[in-house]
Amino acid sequence: MKKETLKLSRREALALAGAAGVVTVYPGRRSFASAEGEYDLGIERTRIVIEGIEGDAIAMGGAVPAPTLRWREGEEVVIHATNRLDEPTSIHWHGLLLAGVMDGAPGFNGYIAIQPGETYTYRFRLRQAGTYWYHSHSAFQEQAGMYGAIVIEPADREPVRYNRDYVVVLSDYLREDPNAVLGKLKTDPGYYNYGKRTLVDFFDDAKRDGLGAALEDRLAWGDMRMDPTDLADVTGYTFLVNGRGPADNWTGLYSPGERVRLRFVNASAMSIYDVYIPGMQMTVFAADGQNVQPVKVDEFRFGVGETYDVIVMPKDEAPYTIMAEPIDRSGYARATLATREGDEGPIPPLRPRVLLTMQDMGMAHGGMDMSGMDHSTMNMSGMDHSTMDMSEMDHTGMDMGEAVAGWANAGTPPGAKALRYEDLVSAKANEDDREPAHEIELRLTGIMERYMWSLNGAPFGHGEPLRVAYGDRVRIRFVNTTMMAHPMHLHGMFVELENGQTDRKPRKHVVLVPPGREMSVVLTANEPGEWPFHCHLLFHMEAGMMTRFIVEQASVSIDGGDA
Amino acid sequence: MQICASFRVAAYAVAAMTSAWTAIAAEGMDLSRVGQPGNAAEAERTIEIVLGDNFYEPANLSVTRGETIRFVIVNQGEFLHEFNIATPQMHLDHQAEMQTMVDHGMLTATDFEPMPGHTHDYANSVLVRPGETAEIVWRFTGDAELEFACNVPGHYEAGMAGTIEFVE
Repeated sequence: MKKETLKLSRREALALAGAAGVVTVYPGRRSFASAEGEYDLGIERTRIVIEGIEGDAIAMGGAVPAPTLRWREGEEVVIHATNRLDEPTSIHWHGLLLAGVMDGAPGFNGYIAIQPGETYTYRFRLRQAGTYWYHSHSAFQEQAGMYGAIVIEPADREPVRYNRDYVVVLSDYLREDPNAVLGKLKTDPGYYNYGKRTLVDFFDDAKRDGLGAALEDRLAWGDMRMDPTDLADVTGYTFLVNGRGPADNWTGLYSPGERVRLRFVNASAMSIYDVYIPGMQMTVFAADGQNVQPVKVDEFRFGVGETYDVIVMPKDEAPYTIMAEPIDRSGYARATLATREGDEGPIPPLRPRVLLTMQDMGMAHGGMDMSGMDHSTMNMSGMDHSTMDMSEMDHTGMDMGEAVAGWANAGTPPGAKALRYEDLVSAKANEDDREPAHEIELRLTGIMERYMWSLNGAPFGHGEPLRVAYGDRVRIRFVNTTMMAHPMHLHGMFVELENGQTDRKPRKHVVLVPPGREMSVVLTANEPGEWPFHCHLLFHMEAGMMTRFIVEQASVSIDGGDA
Repeated sequence: MQICASFRVAAYAVAAMTSAWTAIAAEGMDLSRVGQPGNAAEAERTIEIVLGDNFYEPANLSVTRGETIRFVIVNQGEFLHEFNIATPQMHLDHQAEMQTMVDHGMLTATDFEPMPGHTHDYANSVLVRPGETAEIVWRFTGDAELEFACNVPGHYEAGMAGTIEFVE
């Protein structure tokens, strides 16, 4: 089929370019019709060393993370992905607007997984600028290392000026075989939940809220067969920044007074983080690659699959620590901004664990007044973190100390500003000001006990796909009926988050829907095809939390090339 | 009166909420080191400054000590921007005050509440709404290290700050 032609063209291109040996990157219009950039990405098993310990991984382009692809808006790129694994693979271009077959999600838009030994050639024109990423959309390969950043320079000028530009890719590395993990989760969903509440906790609750409230709370949790510490259901991860563990300490250099652009990508399989740099504010100016009005924050909560671009201005030589704590506080990712290699800033103690409340479950309508809780009794200063040796990464024996109540409580220090979705104001006015013609309700559903995750009660393949007509203006209302946050990712097009803005709703490709809450987005269905729409928590997606979002056109073209 | 002009908008906010008016006046009061308001009739040059999202054109300036310059400031962006001549420290202080104004709804992404009874003449700073044009005339008689900057929260960090180089 088409692939063959492209393969041929590639050989011709190589001949034309007169390239000898292995060509990783070679620019030049001559080499491939109108393509400005051509890339070879081999996908193979490898071994990587994290904090001195060697482990299994899958690399794209020879590295974990995969090489950052630096492109320019408007140019056409060609990528040859060669599968050197013994299983099918795929590369998905997360957040990019492209023809469906180029999206790289097997089983969608006519795209078929790349079989062992085969090469698939992607070819698309870049219709946007900003920070995005790419990753495997097959099995658990993403978690094993198949992720990397995409940086697309705008055709016109940047909305910011900076002296340094760093990609900060967060990920969670598991030495265990992900398939074994899923097996354990299906047997016992609490297997990885080291912070499970105990009888002692119950008596503490009773002392704080009264026996009745504590009992009621506990009974309600029991009813739902869920556990309020299940914020993250897989732990035991080592958290990485650009492929480096906390002790490896990835370092970005700066000179005092410079503006440093940090392109944060949450390429984790399962980890939602609170990200902050002690002693330094961050000015967020892009979310999911799309520019927003600059907003100064001290920290942001970072859903899986999201990206944020920030500017920091370190004024002195003090090394600054970039901290990313997963919300279950089972460890941390850490990096450093320093004026010279080897400098290290202090590592702040881990924040208290977040404890979900019944309100987070949307079950406490008026029943439980959070304002009545006495937070003054939660003495966080009493936590002794000095005795925790994080480098050992053995958290099973860790006393997590006190917890704070409620999804929204990130343990943000008093006076500090945490980014909220409401703060995101699109730099560009929304193009389509029509009211949505109709609304789709998407219930985020799950049965924890069997580790079954689904949408509208149906695991992938068992429910009806969502269908909209090409050009339709549609509202999607997420109703999270579960006790976990779900970063919902729609392929193929941006959604506009209904965050209170009228004509400057931020454009997102991932929307983090908090536990027990509702959230809505609107979109213009102007990208024909059948797109994956799923929770970006890898294990949830694999467990079935995915559906098909079909943008129907009179004649749908799913063949390659540009629209 | 020798009110620190660069802070008049912010001062309004802060004064309206009690507190730090005097402190700010004292802090920013070394305006003579920045220069002084000029007379349009005495301006030796006119420089057009384009405000965009989020940048200046030109990005930097060269001036002669003692020179009087008329600035015509055109906001071609979609958001509110400031053109403010001051020291880096004054800008930093001003940013905190601007943030306070934002927090109290006195400054939005595209608009602000002007200070009653004040005109924009004889100032070292001006806030310009999208699509609008403003003018200030400044005499560069001071000896401080100067920058021109936009102190709308986040804009300075985004790069809306240019150096002012003194040439002989």
